[in-house]
Amino acid sequence: QPLARLCSPQLAGASPVNCRNARESSTQFQYLVVEKKGAKQNVGVIQLNRPKALNALCNGLMNEMNQALDSFEKDPHVGAIIITGSEKAFAAGADIKEMQNSTFQECYGGNFLAHWNRVSLVRKPVIAAVNGYALGGGCELAMMCDIIYAGEKAQFGQPEILLGTIPGAGGTQRLTRAVGKSLAMEMVLTGDRISAQEAKEAGLVSKIYPVEKLLEEAIRCGEKIAGNSKLVTAMAKEAVNAAFEMTLTEGNKMEKRLFHATFATDDQKEGMAAFVEKRKAKFTDH
Amino acid sequence: TVRERVLQQSGGETQNASPVQQVGRALKSCQPEAEMKCGATQGTGAKLRTRHCPGRRPLQPPIPCSAAHCCNNVPVSLPLAGTQFQYLVVEKKGAKQNVGVIQLNRPKALNALCNGLMNEMNQALDSFEKDPHVGAIIITGSEKAFAAGADIKEMQNSTFQECYGGNFLAHWNRVSLVRKPVIAAVNGYALGGGCELAMMCDIIYAGEKAQFGQPEILLGTIPGAGGTQRLTRAVGKSLAMEMVLTGDRISAQEAKEAGLVSKIYPVEKLLEEAIRCGEKIAGNSKLVTAMAKEAVNAAFEMTLTEGNKMEKRLFHATFATDDQKEGMAAFVEKRKAKFTDH
Repeated sequence: QPLARLCSPQLAGASPVNCRNARESSTQFQYLVVEKKGAKQNVGVIQLNRPKALNALCNGLMNEMNQALDSFEKDPHVGAIIITGSEKAFAAGADIKEMQNSTFQECYGGNFLAHWNRVSLVRKPVIAAVNGYALGGGCELAMMCDIIYAGEKAQFGQPEILLGTIPGAGGTQRLTRAVGKSLAMEMVLTGDRISAQEAKEAGLVSKIYPVEKLLEEAIRCGEKIAGNSKLVTAMAKEAVNAAFEMTLTEGNKMEKRLFHATFATDDQKEGMAAFVEKRKAKFTDH
Repeated sequence: TVRERVLQQSGGETQNASPVQQVGRALKSCQPEAEMKCGATQGTGAKLRTRHCPGRRPLQPPIPCSAAHCCNNVPVSLPLAGTQFQYLVVEKKGAKQNVGVIQLNRPKALNALCNGLMNEMNQALDSFEKDPHVGAIIITGSEKAFAAGADIKEMQNSTFQECYGGNFLAHWNRVSLVRKPVIAAVNGYALGGGCELAMMCDIIYAGEKAQFGQPEILLGTIPGAGGTQRLTRAVGKSLAMEMVLTGDRISAQEAKEAGLVSKIYPVEKLLEEAIRCGEKIAGNSKLVTAMAKEAVNAAFEMTLTEGNKMEKRLFHATFATDDQKEGMAAFVEKRKAKFTDH
């Protein structure tokens, strides 16, 4: 990928101005391939691209990930975002060489991994399309997304304990909430992996597809989502996420306030009128 | 009594069943799609009675008619409130008549939840709460639909000001405040408000063709009666996000695998199985049952440590009850317990 290397900020100087002539944003990134997909080009796709490292997450990759996410957040055409890897690996972990010699003081003082949760702050829906290995930080990255679609050969795991550490990007929290205590404890304390089928049965992933069909099915889901009101979709996502942040009573109150607020939108009026008039709704994201 | 004669006669299927016999049959089966299609959501009681029983005097006083209970040879003093409701059929079932059954009855609207229906639901629940004989409550719909949503025409033109100021949907959560156990017996569609109604119940039994969904996003709104909160807690983030953001439905089987429903039954067996579960529950101490339900619900309201403390306090409190003394004595003495709900 010579063009990608030339255009990476590290090699081309402070600004990627040399890359303006290059094709699309796929050449601005060293560790990612970033494109828009779908008939209406309304699904942003971020593909991890560090094949030699099985997409291990390094600081550079996560910085680029955040840039790509910022870009899709701002893009008024994009209604849903997909994060995916290769057929062999979604992301097989974090870059161990990068962190092995850090001291506690450096970690705490430098707020190590602080910016790795950007995915969980995105307001648009994010679908993780996981083929192959999603281990450690890779599993945590998938779990930060809203929806996980898995390929038939996907494997999920939190093997940090085998390296003398623990998950540090939400693995112990999101995995437990998704699959329950027994399986989460087993995975976190043994480092053992689960298959796509086990992940679906346990509630971690909602769909399984053949390896070669996974990304297109994820894009189809993204298109379905992007066809609704982006404004109201953000409210729906906020409400679902509130389920993890407050009691049921408080969550119901918050949902109710957001629900009432939808009645101030044009899209609610249009959506319900279209339903009553038995026609297709034309949302304006307003 | 007339009613007893009617019910006796309604046992056999006869071509020449008199209106009285038809009513008796309908009373026994109490299906909203019974032959007596009286268009309950539209007409007044008097008009309907004339249609069914031409030439006969209407009952006094006129009562809004639901389902088939409008024919005037049947005494007004039915033991069950079937004739008091426009949108529901409400009865007590079980060998000991200790299971209250509330059946949604708006067949033309696929049981879409309107304000009137929810008000009647709350009345029926209040009545069963007060009734010392009722130990469990079942909410069900028709074979085709549990409740296919909320009444969109009713709400489409509301403004934010009207919603917030009027606390729109505030009273729709009455089901979640009932202290007795509530079982949702879901056949067919449980969508939007219908799915939310089922999830407010304690237990969900599904018929094999049941479908669950939260399609509000397709209408430009979001679930407003707990759908985003209860669905996520039941089926996990990925499936809840998928359902809420795409509007897609899941089958009964998927719902069971995901943890939303605990049993699946053939369509025609669903209600009887739900009643059987209700009878099992109603056979225990009603007092202690309410404490058990409160404890389980606390799991969604506080941390594990605080929830365990609360459970412990309730557990200790059971030792102040006669039913704990009776239940444990019966166990030790290897006999059946006789609970007194005290």
